[in-house]
Amino acid sequence: MEARGAARLRAERRRALLAAAPALGVLTLLFGGALAGAARTSLVPLGGEPTLDAWRALYGDPAFADSVRFTLQVTLLSTLLSCALAMLVALVMRRRSVVVRALLSLPVPVPHLLVAVAAVLWLAPGGLADRALGGLPLTLVRDDLGLGVVLVYVYKETPFLVLLLLAAMGEALAAREEAAAVHGASQWQRLRWVVWPAVRTPLVVGGIVVAAFVLGAFEVPLTIGPSYPPTLSEFALQATQGDLLAGEGVAAATLLLTAVASTLLAILAVRLAKDAAGG
Amino acid sequence: MSPLALEIDAITVSPGGAPVLRGLSLHVAAGTRTALVGPSGAGKTTLLRAVAGLAPLDDGDVRLGERSLRNVPPHRRGVAVVFQEPRLLAHLSVEENVALPLRAAGVGGSERRSRARERLDEVGLGGFSARRSQGLSGGEQQRVALARALCADPDLLLLDEPLAALDPNRREDLRRLIVRLQRERGLTTLVVTHDRAEAAELGERVALVLEGRIVQHGPPKELFERPVSAAVARFFGVANLLRGEVRDGLLEVRGTAVAVPGPDGDATLAIRPEHARVDDDAALRAVVRESVYAGTHVKLVVDCHDLRLELHVPPAGAPAAGREIGVDLPRERLWRLPEDDEIAVSAAAAAPSRGAGRPSA
Amino acid sequence: MVETRVQRVLGGLLATAFALPLLVLVVRAFADRWRAPALLPQDWGMRGIELAFSGQAAEAFWTSLLVAVVTTAVALVLGWPAARVLGERRLKRPAIAFLLLAMPLLVPPYATGAGLTEWFLRLGLVDTVSGIVLAHLVGVLPYVVVVLLSAFGPEVTALEEMGRASGLAPLQRWRWVTLPAVAPTLAAAAFLGFLVSWSQYGSSLAVGGGRPMLPVVMLPFVRSDPQVAAALALLFLAPAIAALALTARAARSPL
Repeated sequence: MEARGAARLRAERRRALLAAAPALGVLTLLFGGALAGAARTSLVPLGGEPTLDAWRALYGDPAFADSVRFTLQVTLLSTLLSCALAMLVALVMRRRSVVVRALLSLPVPVPHLLVAVAAVLWLAPGGLADRALGGLPLTLVRDDLGLGVVLVYVYKETPFLVLLLLAAMGEALAAREEAAAVHGASQWQRLRWVVWPAVRTPLVVGGIVVAAFVLGAFEVPLTIGPSYPPTLSEFALQATQGDLLAGEGVAAATLLLTAVASTLLAILAVRLAKDAAGG
Repeated sequence: MSPLALEIDAITVSPGGAPVLRGLSLHVAAGTRTALVGPSGAGKTTLLRAVAGLAPLDDGDVRLGERSLRNVPPHRRGVAVVFQEPRLLAHLSVEENVALPLRAAGVGGSERRSRARERLDEVGLGGFSARRSQGLSGGEQQRVALARALCADPDLLLLDEPLAALDPNRREDLRRLIVRLQRERGLTTLVVTHDRAEAAELGERVALVLEGRIVQHGPPKELFERPVSAAVARFFGVANLLRGEVRDGLLEVRGTAVAVPGPDGDATLAIRPEHARVDDDAALRAVVRESVYAGTHVKLVVDCHDLRLELHVPPAGAPAAGREIGVDLPRERLWRLPEDDEIAVSAAAAAPSRGAGRPSA
Repeated sequence: MVETRVQRVLGGLLATAFALPLLVLVVRAFADRWRAPALLPQDWGMRGIELAFSGQAAEAFWTSLLVAVVTTAVALVLGWPAARVLGERRLKRPAIAFLLLAMPLLVPPYATGAGLTEWFLRLGLVDTVSGIVLAHLVGVLPYVVVVLLSAFGPEVTALEEMGRASGLAPLQRWRWVTLPAVAPTLAAAAFLGFLVSWSQYGSSLAVGGGRPMLPVVMLPFVRSDPQVAAALALLFLAPAIAALALTARAARSPL
């Protein structure tokens, strides 16, 4: 009799797996296929023998090194700035304002490309800001540091992070803060001992997500970034526009690297989120 | 349509893999109201769900009238359920919620509406038709759920702790309503509750579930005053159990002979706290440890050496803690438990639940 | 809710920060001549709009729309059972599933597109709508599942049980109980899925071949003709706003 109950449970688990199979199966096929395809293209040029030429070319290419440096720079800057800004906004808001929260969800449906286009119109030399202020102190469009790119990503990702943080700063947190205040904790102490532990993980996970995303920056730097150095995805695009045969391989190798880097970050983020949620 | 009897025949149900009900049998006579009572985790709600078809049977059968429900899906059983929460659909009006079973059966719009309105009148919510379910109080929502169940014109009505979420005044109203509607229709009904007093008020018969089995089933008076085992006794608030060997119709209780009914031999006797009396002339002496005013009575916990007894006495003249009193255990109120020790021992840990406790599994 | 002054200032700043950039798009789109250092255009006109629509833009708009709608529909059909199973916590090891959902979300679409091209070339899927849909699906399906799964759980299961006990057959239950209960979240999932596909650049570029997609067509104009770029940007923005309005309404009104 006990076996029957256990057997039924097993059947239920199997049914659940079957239900999730179409989505997960399609994803595995497409995503795995993409990674495999990129690997293949990087190793086997059109109608040729498997070779490490593309990878070797990358390794020796100073432009690639510049691209890596530039991409990491933009990623780091965007992630740190948006995290800091999001933390500030979240602390100021403390989940109390419905209006501000609604405003924060407005940028969500706006595509990154659109923000980049608007940014160019505003911030380019001769753009609106330039005319309104009689000259900008910084070059933000197509500048060597990629500040325009950073700005666009900070603009788009900060609201996302704020919403993430606010979700972690719920009623329970307010109650704990009150309890701490009643016991004589100062504002700063409350921040350090009550608030920070609660938002630490969502902030880190959110930051990792943003970093993984900016790593693959493509259309934004194409619109508002410098022509040199390119981000890794731009570098790949340029490779395909050069030497047709070798270019595909180099592009694929580059993109595979970015994909793997982003995947590792994604795994890290999921692990951290799972641990925080108690496994 | 004549009422049907419910026959639960040795069912085994294991919702989470491990069996919760083991070979449980219960018969509910056609047109009667039975209350199913027991501690948390005993399996009451599982039993209800198994009868409704919401939990699969590993073994055994459930029959309604002549018909076996074993492989019949819930929506074709002719069984209506009132759950612990009202489970109303937020996007429909009260009337549309009530009419749901009719809509399922394909009944046309205007007839649906009129029948739903009739049911709402019956439960005292006439005029609530167009309201949204969110604006209603808990008690009102439960009554809508009741109206919905009646709208299904079922052969069997199942209620899972219908009064649990309500405050005491509302509980009384809803209880009366349920009893009245059931009687008017002669609807075979099974009600689950964790509250023994509620079980007595709701059920023509009461069945106690302990560890997945029906331990006793009978009129409420029987379970309260003639429990078949120590576990049943404890659940129904019989805290006083005396064990020993009866000789010449007398049982020795801590050095005092007490007259008891029944033949000589080993025995366990029980007496309800309300039936034990304070009598300064009595031979059995005890010291009052606790004297707690409980509104309708005073609860006394007294120690007769190492034997602890509980008495419920009228508040007037109740002795205070520390006093030595005499305890009278009237022979005619003593109940001798049957010899079935197995159930008594295994269910010994089952704690009786009280009044407004939390609803159980 | 009582807002402090700082919060009100913040609200004002945010509103400006979010509204102002859009304003410049509208102005630029209709500015035939806007020489520096003038703050307002010298000439207003429809030149931008006309030029925008004379080229591939119209075709790109419809192709992007078609792809977004098809991708979202496919994602919803595939994703619904998975979302259900995950939301009701019926999977023994959900972490694997979540990992599988998270990875495609963060990998650059241009990379997945380029990787898929290797196989699409052999399958003849390059430069086809189906190919683009498949490439977009990698990003849209995870979003749809993650959003939709929050709709399922003990409340919906409880209502469905009530439906069964009330005599509803499975199809009736789905139409009258499940669907209305998850409608708001379903709308949100569809909206997000649509947007993800609509905004796709990298994968459209990699797999699309010659087939025009709106964001791809728009980008070159930023450097060459900002007025046309602004006009196309407004076009690019339009469905997002329409979808937002529609889903907000659908989520609020009961079915």
